[in-house]
Amino acid sequence: MLSPLIRRSARERGQALALTLHVVLLLLVLGQVVYLASRFRARVDMTSDALWTSTTSTRSVLAKLEKRLLIEAYFSPKDDLPLNMRGSRDWADNFLDEVTQLGNGSVVVQRYDPNSDKAVADKATRLGVTPLNLSSRSATSLSVDQHWQGLRLVYGGSRQEVVASFLPGSSFAAEAILTPKIKEVMVGEKGRFGYMEWPVAAPQSRTPSGVGWAACRSNEGLKKRYEFQNVKDEDGALLPDDLETLFLFRPKDLSDRQKYVLDQFVVSGGTLVVFADAAEYSVGPQRRMRNRPMSIDAQGSELAFVDMLRHYGVEWRPRLVCDVDARAYTSKIPQEYIGLQVRQRTGLAMNVPVPYPYFLHPVNEDWALLADQFAVDATGQVDARKAAQLRKTLQPGMPADDFLFQAFRRLNRGPGFYWPTWVGLARRAGGGLALPAGVDGRVLLWSSPRSLVEDPPQVLDPIGQDPRQWAGKSQQFLAERIARLRAEPRRQAPLMCEVKGRFTSFFAGRDRPRRPSEVAEAKERAPDKADVVAAGDEPAAAGPEEAEVGPQLAEDSVPAAMADERAMITESDRPGRIVMVGDATFLRDDLISGGMRQQGGPFSAYGLVFFAQMLDWLSEDRDLVALQTRVPTDRTLRFVEDDATAQTDPRDAEQALRSKTRGLVTWNVLVPSLLLAVCGAALWVWRRNQKRAFLASLQA
Amino acid sequence: MASRSLVVFRRELKSYFLSPIAYVFGVLFLTVLLFLSAQSTLVHNAQASMQAFFLYLPWIYLVFLPGLTMRLWAEERKLGTIELLLTFPVQPGQVVLGKFLAVMAYLAFVLLLTFGLPLTLSAYGSVDWPPVLGAYLASLLFAGSFVAVGMFWSSLTKDQIVALLASVVSLAVLFLLGYPSLIEFFGANLPPIVADALNGVSPFKYFQSIARGVFDTRDFVYFACFCGFFLYCNVLVLRVRRDSKG
Repeated sequence: MLSPLIRRSARERGQALALTLHVVLLLLVLGQVVYLASRFRARVDMTSDALWTSTTSTRSVLAKLEKRLLIEAYFSPKDDLPLNMRGSRDWADNFLDEVTQLGNGSVVVQRYDPNSDKAVADKATRLGVTPLNLSSRSATSLSVDQHWQGLRLVYGGSRQEVVASFLPGSSFAAEAILTPKIKEVMVGEKGRFGYMEWPVAAPQSRTPSGVGWAACRSNEGLKKRYEFQNVKDEDGALLPDDLETLFLFRPKDLSDRQKYVLDQFVVSGGTLVVFADAAEYSVGPQRRMRNRPMSIDAQGSELAFVDMLRHYGVEWRPRLVCDVDARAYTSKIPQEYIGLQVRQRTGLAMNVPVPYPYFLHPVNEDWALLADQFAVDATGQVDARKAAQLRKTLQPGMPADDFLFQAFRRLNRGPGFYWPTWVGLARRAGGGLALPAGVDGRVLLWSSPRSLVEDPPQVLDPIGQDPRQWAGKSQQFLAERIARLRAEPRRQAPLMCEVKGRFTSFFAGRDRPRRPSEVAEAKERAPDKADVVAAGDEPAAAGPEEAEVGPQLAEDSVPAAMADERAMITESDRPGRIVMVGDATFLRDDLISGGMRQQGGPFSAYGLVFFAQMLDWLSEDRDLVALQTRVPTDRTLRFVEDDATAQTDPRDAEQALRSKTRGLVTWNVLVPSLLLAVCGAALWVWRRNQKRAFLASLQA
Repeated sequence: MASRSLVVFRRELKSYFLSPIAYVFGVLFLTVLLFLSAQSTLVHNAQASMQAFFLYLPWIYLVFLPGLTMRLWAEERKLGTIELLLTFPVQPGQVVLGKFLAVMAYLAFVLLLTFGLPLTLSAYGSVDWPPVLGAYLASLLFAGSFVAVGMFWSSLTKDQIVALLASVVSLAVLFLLGYPSLIEFFGANLPPIVADALNGVSPFKYFQSIARGVFDTRDFVYFACFCGFFLYCNVLVLRVRRDSKG
């Protein structure tokens, strides 16, 4: 067989040796080429969702590594994993490989198998890596196996983070878990934010102080990078000078002193972020949606918070925005809406979301391009003049390229708001902007042009209490709004805005409101003063109502409580900033933690994402922005329409589905094979005929 | 060089389509591959993905391709046509390249017949076409590496069964070297450099890389080198044989 190569003559032995060397050298050279190609490589991710490409977030975080990042992977062998977990291991391995490559030598991955060494298992447990205890069953026994897939990240030998269980379901998930952890382990100093909140006194809440906004602040991932300090001081002390950003969660019952504190903060160059609500609607298991009394300004307050905001250039209308455009409220994210259990003909109970135009999203749509749709008159014709006017005035719903909204670009809509309010820029009667001198502003989110603005009605229940009437009531609820919309001009409602610049104090020319302790001190002095006044026939001192809140006349003598308070700043020496969002409910604890959902209410699916994004936006930390934008495309196969299966008998539907699937499989298997077989048979017949003809010609 | 390779290529390709082997091979290959993959791909509410198809494909190649390549040289030798071929004014390299391209063209044709599956998926779901097309390309490159090895073994012997067995065994070893379970085993029991080298040899790893939708220069360089190496060895065998005859 190999005789030419192994002939025994000396000359041929020499040739064989030379040949062997030739092949070995070639092998070495090609091996080297492949090695170099793996070192210096270029790759293009062809998947439309960029499944295999790390986002700029991961790259930017890894580019900032100054010290070595050691990733200890506590992974038990893949073969031991149950089949359904092996995919997760692939994603995990793939992402760790990519992180190692992107780290350019700064990232080292060390793998340990806790199942093979008890000391390693003990160490992993001590660190906080959690094994998965899964039972496996054989013919004769039932056992519980421990599977490990956790990580420990050590940065620079000192700081560490542990991922107790790293079980990504996709490359997106792997990145979303690991990259923030890497960022956390790298972060030295945390960003600091102050906050004040006015919890909702929910009647069914077990929390004595009501439902607040703690869940978004105490999110584990955010806590690692940011710290929040409650700066709501009952005595109305001015805010610390080193505080740069202050969040107000649903401000209400604001005293003039509190407004003064906020004013001084903004005038001093602080950033004030307000999540504002105009009403408190209850949802709860009854879903009656009754408006509970809520007032923005405290009783006795002489200055309105709305006026104060307008002074800075923000126009807040504490009225509700209702968006009747289906793009704004359609339940693409069903859990954001009230779900009603409807039993289908198939016998299955489905949670059907109730369309509710008061739960709306700003849509990533350039509404000006759709002006013709909104300029249709009663005859169904497009009113060209109206359309031209709308083209000039309509605004895009969301600036998707803005850093703050990049997380929402793929969703094509902004965060979901609940009973939002009008928050825009101050305007003159003629329509022009009325921003103070030296202040710039922009509206960040707009509703669709099919919006209604109204004072908060007492009840906004879309379905009523009778389950038999739910569907009808819901349609009627929506129809009423659409009918109202026909009678009103098309307009968009601003839902979020930002103003920044050098603000002047709202209290300039007014007296500084007194702190409660000052008022108390004044009360104590009042009898002495009354004596003096009585002796001199002067008017009596202010009554107790006046002493509560509101701007006060300057005292003759400075009370001890305000002795160390700085004088009022009337003009800003550095630019301040106000960001106002027309909704606070979407961030409320019960909506973002799912508590409300358990009671049949809505779940704010993207509230926390928006808040996290906002923190990064406010602190200009762009590192993790790209992570939020990753949403894989839905590629689900549907051989039969789900609606069709719902309409028919389940057995028929099942039969139809089976038949369709079988047909498709048969078609796909048989058609190509038969095609080739028929071609072969045709060729065989043709060749046979040719051969016969040839033989016949020979015989002839 | 190219025109002479083209002549060989045409001759070989014609011989494929004029002989029953192409049809028998094609029908069996398509039936088995599509039957297996359609079962797990065409599922209501599953993702419109060709993953199962490309998961089975390497195994099908492993079984079928040696059958296709075993006859390439062994039959020429058995029938004595190789001597005639080598007396033509063509270089062994041109003959090897012509034969190799003919097999590849035939395989491309057969793979083209499987396109009904992604088309069906796209009719009922949203198929991500770039990775699917990438995976088809990867399949062709992967097949190319198997064909190159099979041709090499076929050139060493005139017995087709020996060529078939040698091809199956060597391809199985190469294939399994890149198999995840074996990689883990090597990783745990061998020094890292040896484990990496063994893993780096297998075409399976590079196939998977392209098949998932990532075009990496490393993978293309690997396939070019792998095919180039075995085709070159094939040329050396022919040269030695020609020289020994001369």
